[in-house]
Amino acid sequence: MSSVVEVKNLVTSFKTQEGTFNAVDNVSFKVDAGKTLGIVGESGCGKSVTSLSIMGLIPMPPGKIESGEILFKGQNLLKLSQNEMRKIRGNKIGMIFQEPMTSLNPVFTIGNQIEEAIKLHQKELSSKQVREKAIDMLKLVGIPSPEKRIDDYPHQLSGGMRQRVMIAIALSCSPDLLIADEPTTALDVTIQAQILDLIKKLQRELNTAMILITHDLGVVAETCDDVAVMYAGKIVEYGTADQIFNRPLHPYTKGLLNSVPHFETGKRKTRLETIPGIVPSLANLPQGCRFFDRCTQSIEQCKVRQPELEKLEHNVACYNPVKQK
Amino acid sequence: MSTPFIEVKNLSKHFPIKGGFFSRQIASVKAVSDVSLKIQKGETLGLVGESGCGKSTLGRCIIRLIDVSAGQILLEGKDITQTKGEELRALRRKMQIIFQDPYSSLNPRMTVGKIIEEPLIIHKIGNSANDRRNRVKELIETVGLRKESIDRYPHEFSGGQRQRIGIARSLAVEPELIVCDEPVSALDVSIQAQVINLLMDLQQKLGLTYLFIAHDLKVVEHISNRVAVMYLGKVVELADADELYKNPRHPYTQALLSAIPVPKVGGHKMKRIILQGDVPSPVNPPSGCYFNPRCPIMSDECKTTDPILKNLGSNHEARCLKV
Ligand SMILES: Nc1ncnc2c1ncn2[C@@H]1O[C@H](COP(=O)(O)OP(=O)(O)OP(=O)(O)O)[C@@H](O)[C@H]1O
Ligand SMILES: Nc1ncnc2c1ncn2[C@@H]1O[C@H](COP(=O)(O)OP(=O)(O)OP(=O)(O)O)[C@@H](O)[C@H]1O
Ligand SMILES: [Mg+2]
Ligand SMILES: [Mg+2]
Repeated sequence: MSSVVEVKNLVTSFKTQEGTFNAVDNVSFKVDAGKTLGIVGESGCGKSVTSLSIMGLIPMPPGKIESGEILFKGQNLLKLSQNEMRKIRGNKIGMIFQEPMTSLNPVFTIGNQIEEAIKLHQKELSSKQVREKAIDMLKLVGIPSPEKRIDDYPHQLSGGMRQRVMIAIALSCSPDLLIADEPTTALDVTIQAQILDLIKKLQRELNTAMILITHDLGVVAETCDDVAVMYAGKIVEYGTADQIFNRPLHPYTKGLLNSVPHFETGKRKTRLETIPGIVPSLANLPQGCRFFDRCTQSIEQCKVRQPELEKLEHNVACYNPVKQK
Repeated sequence: MSTPFIEVKNLSKHFPIKGGFFSRQIASVKAVSDVSLKIQKGETLGLVGESGCGKSTLGRCIIRLIDVSAGQILLEGKDITQTKGEELRALRRKMQIIFQDPYSSLNPRMTVGKIIEEPLIIHKIGNSANDRRNRVKELIETVGLRKESIDRYPHEFSGGQRQRIGIARSLAVEPELIVCDEPVSALDVSIQAQVINLLMDLQQKLGLTYLFIAHDLKVVEHISNRVAVMYLGKVVELADADELYKNPRHPYTQALLSAIPVPKVGGHKMKRIILQGDVPSPVNPPSGCYFNPRCPIMSDECKTTDPILKNLGSNHEARCLKV
């Protein structure tokens, strides 16, 4: 099976006061048609920068794609002009952004914005049909009284409703690749379940490949085929959802899974397990493993040299991986 | 029981919807209807419910960021519903909010240091610029950011990092009540755990009172003493956290609990109650019980009778004809 998107050795840097650093450092993965890749990892580890790189939306400067390839159906997106990229964006590649407020235009009604997206791909529709389709999309993502709300401005909607408008816009173009950056964080779990169902259904119908970025490990477990775990700009573990959740190899992955609060009586209001310490500054990285000073099972070698992603049972970048019971 | 720190009595908030030629009001969004609740000092009240059900609006009313349409808010027994001017400013120092949206709530043209310092200036805290800067540094470290962050701008930070800037800003004035509006939903689980631990530590140390709004029921369960469940502007269930999770009585709460995604691949999963039907609108709520169009155990009387919040004993209340 050929991949819809294949990212090879992507390096994206930013120039800041602290110096130039690689927010995404030699990242590779691929997603096949109809499949979902989940990307998880500490806040600031480069998940959004990875997806913005694919979309050609890295602000340059201060950003820069230093090297690598992003093959979309075999074509290297990094070789395309701004203009060619614009035609692919929001058309063949749909994106649900992490920040619904800043990605919706505050001076246009939500109706205007969905209609705009629909018109881009279905030029044959009359304006009445476009409006009807826009109302349908709003209804599909669970906005109540869509015919009344369609003329609202973004600030008149609740956080979750804005997020659903974003989802409606992204889905209205039936993309080959859908990148969803925290698509359901602002939604309650019943709507989340409905929307994930909806995305999965459309994905099956259209054989869409999906990259799903989320902090909710429950959502990852239930939605993703493969999972990439990122830490400080690098993928540190990469495998199937089953491998990552049931047989994690990287101590960071293990720490993440342990930090999830569980329903346990008597445990309420006690301290949660955390991974002590903080991520190193990207502008000032250690020589060895980036997780070294937070790791509970580091060995001598970890301090000296950075581990590369290696295939054990699945791919992991660690000299002393978690022992399986 | 002692006077609650916050008491909300029959609070309603309606937003006008304008339209037509003269921008007249043509309808209204009934964001919050007739909500009553109490929060004791040092307590955490969790607030959960469907997106758009009025959680943020309720939180904003309580700390007087927006005016109410009806009802009363009492702070330590004193009616603050209509407080204005200088007195309101003093209240603001007692009651802070951590916003849901870490993107639009930080001024992009101010450095992190200035953002956190601003409330100190407004409330005239700290004797000198140097004093304030030290306090800002302390706050930055308290929330787990690096000291160098002080001179950087919000756009240079990731979502989770920005959320912590917002938390530092709310803590700056040493408030007594914090409305935490989705404070951790933008954070990865390990940082989320750190922030929750931080909020609990601060509560213990400073006796803070929290209204904690979140979609993540596991997080809410963990941090809250009591939990209120809202649906379409109304509180439909209210109980101690343990009790609510062990013994949910309202069908909406039951659906909510069953829909929590489980971070497990394979193995046994709880049976999910998938709600049917359209999400009703706060512009035009259904007659009878607001939940009836989606309720799996609905019967005819539910279409006509709006249930009251019934006391089920042991601090447990639910708004359903079937309980
Ligand atoms: N425009 C920018 N200028 C400078 N640095 C940036 C810029 N955008 C992102 N960064 C940096 O790049 C790193 C990766 O950021 P990114 O937004 O990809 O994180 P993330 O993994 O999506 O985090 P979160 O889960 O919090 O959204 C961060 O350290 C961030 O500070
Ligand atoms: N300024 C406003 N003007 C008009 N309607 C508003 C305004 N603010 C909120 N609303 C409406 O009030 C209702 C409740 O919104 P609110 O933001 O309180 O919901 P919420 O429970 O916090 O939702 P979420 O979980 O999505 O953040 C929504 O229907 C929203 O559209
Ligand atoms: Mg991000
Ligand atoms: Mg809200």
